[in-house]
Amino acid sequence: MRKLVSLVEKEVKDLLRDPRIYIGLVVPVILMPLLGFLMSTSMSSSIEAGAKGVKIAVLDYDKTVLSNTFLNLSMSLGADIRKVDATDLETAVDEARNLGSNALIVIGKGFENDLVNFRRASVEVYIVMETMSLGSIGAYSAVEGVLSVSSKIFSNMLISKLNPNISPDAVRDPFNISTRSILKDKIIEAPPQVLFNQLLMGYSIMIPLLLLMLSITVVQFAATATAVENEEKTLETLLTFPVTRYDILLAKLLGSSILAVIGSILFTGGFILYFNNMLAMSGFNFPAGDFSQLLPSPPPESFILLAASLILAILFVTSLGVAIGALSSDVRMANSLLGVVIVPIMIPSFLMMYGDLGTLPLALQLLVYALPTSYPIMMAKDMMMTPIPFEAILGIPYSAALTVLVLYATSMLLAPEKLLTVQYGLRLRGTRRQRVRELENQTTVG
Amino acid sequence: MTGARSIVVVRNLVKRFGDLTAVDNVSLKIEEGEVFGLIGPNGAGKTTILRIMATLLLPTSGYVNILGYDAVKEAGKIRPFISYLAEDAGTYRNLSGREYLLIVARIYFDSNTEASRAVEEAIRISGLGERVDDKMKTYSKGMKRRIQVARALMTRPRLAILDEPTAGLDVFHAKHIREVVSRHVKEGGTVVLSSHNMLEVEYLCTRVAFVHRGHVLFEGAPRAIKNELGVSNLEEAFIKVTSR
Ligand SMILES: Nc1ncnc2c1ncn2[C@@H]1O[C@H](COP(=O)(O)OP(=O)(O)O)[C@@H](O)[C@H]1O
Ligand SMILES: [Mg+2]
Repeated sequence: MRKLVSLVEKEVKDLLRDPRIYIGLVVPVILMPLLGFLMSTSMSSSIEAGAKGVKIAVLDYDKTVLSNTFLNLSMSLGADIRKVDATDLETAVDEARNLGSNALIVIGKGFENDLVNFRRASVEVYIVMETMSLGSIGAYSAVEGVLSVSSKIFSNMLISKLNPNISPDAVRDPFNISTRSILKDKIIEAPPQVLFNQLLMGYSIMIPLLLLMLSITVVQFAATATAVENEEKTLETLLTFPVTRYDILLAKLLGSSILAVIGSILFTGGFILYFNNMLAMSGFNFPAGDFSQLLPSPPPESFILLAASLILAILFVTSLGVAIGALSSDVRMANSLLGVVIVPIMIPSFLMMYGDLGTLPLALQLLVYALPTSYPIMMAKDMMMTPIPFEAILGIPYSAALTVLVLYATSMLLAPEKLLTVQYGLRLRGTRRQRVRELENQTTVG
Repeated sequence: MTGARSIVVVRNLVKRFGDLTAVDNVSLKIEEGEVFGLIGPNGAGKTTILRIMATLLLPTSGYVNILGYDAVKEAGKIRPFISYLAEDAGTYRNLSGREYLLIVARIYFDSNTEASRAVEEAIRISGLGERVDDKMKTYSKGMKRRIQVARALMTRPRLAILDEPTAGLDVFHAKHIREVVSRHVKEGGTVVLSSHNMLEVEYLCTRVAFVHRGHVLFEGAPRAIKNELGVSNLEEAFIKVTSR
């Protein structure tokens, strides 16, 4: 135990201070919230600018009481209305540009006449798309907002004029629809899209994504921690200490898992910030707390199963990482090997996050079921909606067996006799490559 | 126990890597209190012999006994009493010298007081002074070697196996390490080391073995070898032995 603690301490300290692991870690942690922040501020600032002070140029061909009412109404809604005097569109656009406005509304002749005769009146909107920036979209949505509110007020006036005793809404929108959701025999006072967002956020996106992040970081840490022993030629010494190779393997697994958990917590924080900003920006800003009370929480045994499958998945990828690291002469080689190995392992998990397993081709389905990393995602995804799927429960003994196999194979690889021979081969290849390079230099010089 | 006070007994040791026979029928005995030197050119098989003694490699055939234990069947019993310095041993870049020593000491010793005594001893042996608290990536080659030698000797091993302890070091670092090894043996340790610096070995070792192409060609105390072959130093002796 004491020996193991010392070894784990060594792993954690050496890894934690290795700048190379931060490249994989810091980038998403810093970049994600930064991206979210930038997007939301640029978006909201331009929309705000659009809504409040957006300069709308108006060319009024009608010049009647009703067209004037419309303009005053728009002004009272916060739009900065500038009338332009022109006889044709081209000069009107030029003037609008001179006024520094990128929206032009043209009120057609007969505006009032059409309205009082219960015909639809024509209003044309021109948006100047000078730059493909969010500013034009802001101006557009501001004009849209002003127009739809005005249109609704005019409609109210017209309906009241026909019959002052009825509610205009009953004419315009005769169905009063209220939607509720049924989840596991329970009626929930919220429409499905709200629940869907919640589920999507919580159980189907956030947790699987976190699991993916965790497995990718942990495998990277384990591979780096082992490859660096080859790179710095410390492994041979380590193997002569009075510890078993299981201690060495376990220390690597624990050390990288501890760091990966810390890393994932940081990442989740960053991701939540990012996601919240994204949601706020796209208008989905429902208060998170409100609806989570509406949702029944998953049964506790599903959490236990989730945890068990998660631990197995992490052990599986981590020992794979140690094996990759042990077979690599340096960290760079380990990273490129990792890319080759980890992508096919993670693809099924991604597929599951966005699709239905049943719809995948058989070969991919088999791949999904073959990998321990799939089961926690399978469980997290279905935890809310259905009883835990049968195959996910079967997956636990299966993953356990496979994980033990990989752990055993990795510990075999850590036998000095094997490792020194592998390293000897690697080093030989390195020097041979160097010799080839020297020869090439000689021939090009000579 | 095999032999009276033999620390190492090697009999008819053979090690093959595929077609290559790196060690060919080598027999050796190392007694307590000796500094035993394996000398020979690169590729002679010195490292392979030392790795087998350190229980890192398995013999292809032959018998190896360390401290009374069979090096193949009882490797786990041998490890706590030996220490091994690999010829190209590196350091953990991001640990300080002191942190590294403490981690190793806690692997070897069960009590914290013993572990910290070992660390203090190692710091004294290394002669690194305040630099022991710096990250090891800032160390020069000589400093890295000194911390590794200190690490190997601080555990008071009954047998220290040092592969090329002074190779590639400048005179000051090399001299420091030779002094440390001598002191360790005076305090009761036994050392087996390899070198291709014949003059250094002549000064340091009680007994040497000439290793050439996997064979031990000649063995004895430096002075006895010189007398027997009628030469003035070990270098000449080695050349005389290998050319006949
Ligand atoms: N792990 C290994 N696999 C294959 N060949 C090896 C291995 N280790 C050493 N050798 C070969 O064995 C021979 C002896 O090497 P070594 O014991 O390192 O010699 P020395 O330490 O005297 O320079 C060399 O030819 C070397 O190339
Ligand atoms: Mg050697």
